[in-house]
Amino acid sequence: MGDPSSVPTFQFGGLTFNAANIISGLIAFVLVFLFVFALSRHLTLRPGKGQNVLEWLIEFTNGILKGSIHGNEVGAFGLYGFTLFLFLFISNEMGLFIQVAVGAKDYVRSPTADPVVTMTFSLATMMLAQYAGVSKLGWKKHFTGYLKPFVFWLPISIFEEFTNFLTLGLRIFGVIFSGEMLLKIIGQLAFSHGIVTMIIALPIEMFWQGFSLFLGAIQAFVFVTLSSVYISQKLEIEE
Amino acid sequence: MFSHLTVAAGLMVGDMVFYAIAFVLLLWLIGVFAWKPVNEMLEKRADKISNDIDSAEKSRLEAESLAKQRQDALANSRQEASSIVDSAKKQGQQQRDGILADAQTEVLTLKQNAQKDIEQQRQDALLNARNDVADLSIEIASKIIQKELSANDQKALIDSYIEGLGKQHES
Repeated sequence: MGDPSSVPTFQFGGLTFNAANIISGLIAFVLVFLFVFALSRHLTLRPGKGQNVLEWLIEFTNGILKGSIHGNEVGAFGLYGFTLFLFLFISNEMGLFIQVAVGAKDYVRSPTADPVVTMTFSLATMMLAQYAGVSKLGWKKHFTGYLKPFVFWLPISIFEEFTNFLTLGLRIFGVIFSGEMLLKIIGQLAFSHGIVTMIIALPIEMFWQGFSLFLGAIQAFVFVTLSSVYISQKLEIEE
Repeated sequence: MFSHLTVAAGLMVGDMVFYAIAFVLLLWLIGVFAWKPVNEMLEKRADKISNDIDSAEKSRLEAESLAKQRQDALANSRQEASSIVDSAKKQGQQQRDGILADAQTEVLTLKQNAQKDIEQQRQDALLNARNDVADLSIEIASKIIQKELSANDQKALIDSYIEGLGKQHES
């Protein structure tokens, strides 16, 4: 998928879209929504199985946020963290189970294996952090924060924002993209010389899938953790 | 790997717009269908638990005060019982003393009465006996006199009697 020819594109309203991203993204969104929707039926005071899972997930993501954001301010970002984690997790793991390619062009894979997608979420986090900083501290205090500890720090502060944005998006993309790439290569190996290579490739593929599963979970966790760190940095006045 | 991104900047923007809109939509849907109701339920549960703890504390205090009341009542009743027993004993003692004294005085009066009666009866008996003796002696005397009194003797008797009468008048 490295070369442009492997990307199916289409035009709509003057914008160019990547069909693989759109299709797999839609699948991921629908899966997340169905998962949450199914678990949130029949909410009761004494939680059932589904409700327990959902509550555990909410507690989990809230726990990530609480790790860096002060307790009473978590509530506003809880939904963002929860949705982000679920979406990234399902996106990361999606490519391990379903990959559809038609004529050397991918249509379904992990949405997070594309830097555009991960950069979108990284940008969303950065914008949310800026918005949170402004809404909590006010315009003046928020932007004078860039001049600390002294005025000439400004370029470094701006550069830091930019690197935060880049690393946040590229980290998850790199891990998921390389994971899928390796899966594909092992798959090609399996079909290269008939039954013998298949037998050899099967355990390798299984091992790598398991490892990718773990990596996908870790990356979703890391992304939410770093998001909360970046948001919390904007909520506090640096001394 | 970035090559397809550099092909057309438009490609990036389209996907980003799509993901941004889709993600906001997903946020809204999850917020409506899961986040809000679940958090409400969590809050409700937390409220219920804290209420339960409060009410448990309240009932514990109530039970404690009830137990204290019972203890007090028990102590009171014990005291009351002992005082009742004491007063009953005292009353019994008093009654016993009274009865004893009464009995003694009664016995005394009875004794005195009996003595008086006996004395009376003795006097009466004596008197009766004396009368009887007198009557008997008179009867005997009259009988004897009827039988043996001769005319002379009768005369002498009458005389003496008359004489006696005269002496009596004189004196």
